[in-house]
Amino acid sequence: MSPAPRRPPATPLQVRLCCLALGLVATFTVLHNQRQVGIARDETVYFAHGSQYAAWWRGVMSGQRELGEASITATFGGPGATDNNREHPPLIKTASGMSEHWLHDRLGLLDELTAYRLPSAVLHGLLVALVAAFASGAWGLLAGVVSALAMLLMPRALFHAGLACFDGPITALWFATLWAYHRALTSPRVAWLAGALFGLALATKHNALLLPLALAPHYLAVSWRAGLRRRLYLPLSFAVLGPLVLVALWPWLWFEPLPHLWQWISFHAHHVHYNFEYLGQNFNAPPFPWHVALVTTALTVPVATLGAATAGVLVLASRTLSARAARSAEAVAERPALLLLLSAAAAMGPFFLRTTPIFGAEKHWEPAMPSLCIAAGVGLVALARGAARALVAWWPARWPALPRSRTETVLCAALAAVVLGSAAVETFHPQPYGLTAYNALAGGAPGAADLGMNRQFWGVAARGALPELARLAAAPDRTTAVYSHDASPAWRRYQALGLVPANLPDAGPELSGIERSELALVVHERHFARHDFMIWQAYGTVAPVFVLRLDGVPLVSVYRRPRPAQAPPQPASPPPQQQPPASPQPQPASPQQPQPASSPR
Amino acid sequence: MPDDATWRRAAAFVRERARPGDLITFAPSWIDPVGRLHLGEHLSLEDAGRADAARYARVWVLSIRDASSADVAGERPALTSRLDGILVRRYDRTAAVIVEDAARSLPTAQVTGDVASGPQVVLAEVGFTPRRCVQVVPAAGGAVRITFPRFALGSQLVAYAGLADVFTRRDIREPGRLELELAGQVIAARELGVDDGWVRLQARTTPGVAELTVIARAPSPRAHRRQICFAVESRR
Repeated sequence: MSPAPRRPPATPLQVRLCCLALGLVATFTVLHNQRQVGIARDETVYFAHGSQYAAWWRGVMSGQRELGEASITATFGGPGATDNNREHPPLIKTASGMSEHWLHDRLGLLDELTAYRLPSAVLHGLLVALVAAFASGAWGLLAGVVSALAMLLMPRALFHAGLACFDGPITALWFATLWAYHRALTSPRVAWLAGALFGLALATKHNALLLPLALAPHYLAVSWRAGLRRRLYLPLSFAVLGPLVLVALWPWLWFEPLPHLWQWISFHAHHVHYNFEYLGQNFNAPPFPWHVALVTTALTVPVATLGAATAGVLVLASRTLSARAARSAEAVAERPALLLLLSAAAAMGPFFLRTTPIFGAEKHWEPAMPSLCIAAGVGLVALARGAARALVAWWPARWPALPRSRTETVLCAALAAVVLGSAAVETFHPQPYGLTAYNALAGGAPGAADLGMNRQFWGVAARGALPELARLAAAPDRTTAVYSHDASPAWRRYQALGLVPANLPDAGPELSGIERSELALVVHERHFARHDFMIWQAYGTVAPVFVLRLDGVPLVSVYRRPRPAQAPPQPASPPPQQQPPASPQPQPASPQQPQPASSPR
Repeated sequence: MPDDATWRRAAAFVRERARPGDLITFAPSWIDPVGRLHLGEHLSLEDAGRADAARYARVWVLSIRDASSADVAGERPALTSRLDGILVRRYDRTAAVIVEDAARSLPTAQVTGDVASGPQVVLAEVGFTPRRCVQVVPAAGGAVRITFPRFALGSQLVAYAGLADVFTRRDIREPGRLELELAGQVIAARELGVDDGWVRLQARTTPGVAELTVIARAPSPRAHRRQICFAVESRR
């Protein structure tokens, strides 16, 4: 499990510098990548509440705001299940709000959107650095560097890291907890950090509640022989510091903590099922296919990374079996591979139950990705070393000698260039439409469309159609209402950012909005097809004037009401005669019953 | 993947040769928005919301990635031309002659039973596809009878039906049911499940005129807001 590196191991300082550099590269890559990424529907909620939470903390710190129940409830809670976004813990929202306040409003260092997204980007840097640290500690610096780069070169993870949402941050804090826990097995002084990081993860997203499912079996496996009492400090740290940090960061838990905790958890236990497309079917009610997490991962992680990870899993399994055969308990004392396996299983496990809501595809089990990337790093290095051994053995004696160490380095660099190079292509090519990113195994975005895989969600791609909308708009002095569909929650922010002209207001939701509009956009997801049909009826045409595409796959259609503006749509035939006892008179033709103003999903 | 220039060339090719009444379709279905971008002016709402393609004597299929269209399944094209990545095919066939269409005759229909809303002719989403259909919502546990007193018949009666609106299909999982009754006899019936999409019913008929009743049921008392959409045509 922990093979001794063949060359002198890197010094701790070298490893730390390397991790730091990788983390910085990752943060700046995320910040660069997010510049063209549209505003996700959920982000708009988190922006608003993040600023609200941050203002509350600043008010309390400056003594301008009282610390009472009324003030806390008005900011963080409320009677409704989604009041003040109380269904999600506040850490990342608060950090985003603070970042926006200081780095945009006060110091003017970043634009508003980047400032909100900065905490997520920084945490992704932390994740990449810790992946390097973890893998370096267990399998050598080379494996660490490759693992970290594989983590950076994940198209979906890179995309999520650039949003002011929780999926990137929970991956980072999940893995940070794992890393600290693993260190604390041999360094009790780090135990407090593990517990505190667990608390930060809890304060980020409810996925953290699954972490004990990975940590507890691992703890039992590695501590059983050594004596559980010797490491009792670890469960104590998790049990005490985790909840303490969560409560400290979430004022809503400062009173009636147990009912409020229950409300938080039960919201997610009874979450409504959204629509998602998978292998040609639209799913919005259980039972879901048991293999969604496996197949989606297989089609969204770069193929070369998957290949290297497969090699890594085989290598690690073989080493584990060898170590067991040799009864080499010391060699597997902290069992890092087992920890990574349990982490991936805990992150993905709920999605095998067939009832867990799935609406964001791979983002729900993103905490499993570091395990996969580290397996890729281990696998790549093992393949390079194996190839070097074979080459040296084959090398004719009459030729100049081939130094094994240098051969390993060269082969490792070459293999890494191939694997990570192809991962880089698969990662950066689909941006800024990361939710439409599918790997070569799927055939890219067109292949995934053929397979009937989820096209996108959150309305992010609408940003790519905004320049066309501005071009299509009437003269600047004339108002042109736009049916903005899934981009509706982000519309005012797009206008504030100057991406939508002021004379293009949002026309409002559903059929009434379409009837008010002169331009309309539809974000293509299978269950959103009805928006096309409503627009066809209202505009009297099925022809869009612009279709935003990724590799030929439609993401957003833009329609323009033919001029002169047509009369409101009429039923294709007049209403029928009603016989007593007649029901209410037929309604004007409308394809569906009105949906709530908030975008149905 | 073909670019816009290729699509423009393919569209020009079709425009030069298409006749009024031709149907133009695109395959795979996910490329439909791009096809409509270039040839949408040749597609009416009725074409887009067709029950099936039987009434069209000529069908153009523009496809990429070797996809085929269900509208012409099993048929041989009369014309084939490949323009870079776009395969243009024209299928010539004997069009079904529509004797009467229930949607057009709806103003003459008599409606009885437990109506929650409708019936009305709409362009609805059924199975994620556009369908021009008669939509009626029976009260939960009830049935609506839509009677056409003098419906002209051909040699067969063809009906399609399904449940409209993805969100009510998600929230209410109870099936609906459609029955066709000719002169008091049920000649075709079908349960309409939430995942069934747009399903076909058919029956042989004797040419002439008869009373046709379409019965839309929401059999379960939990089957609220069951938006039953149907299209019924008699064909010669």
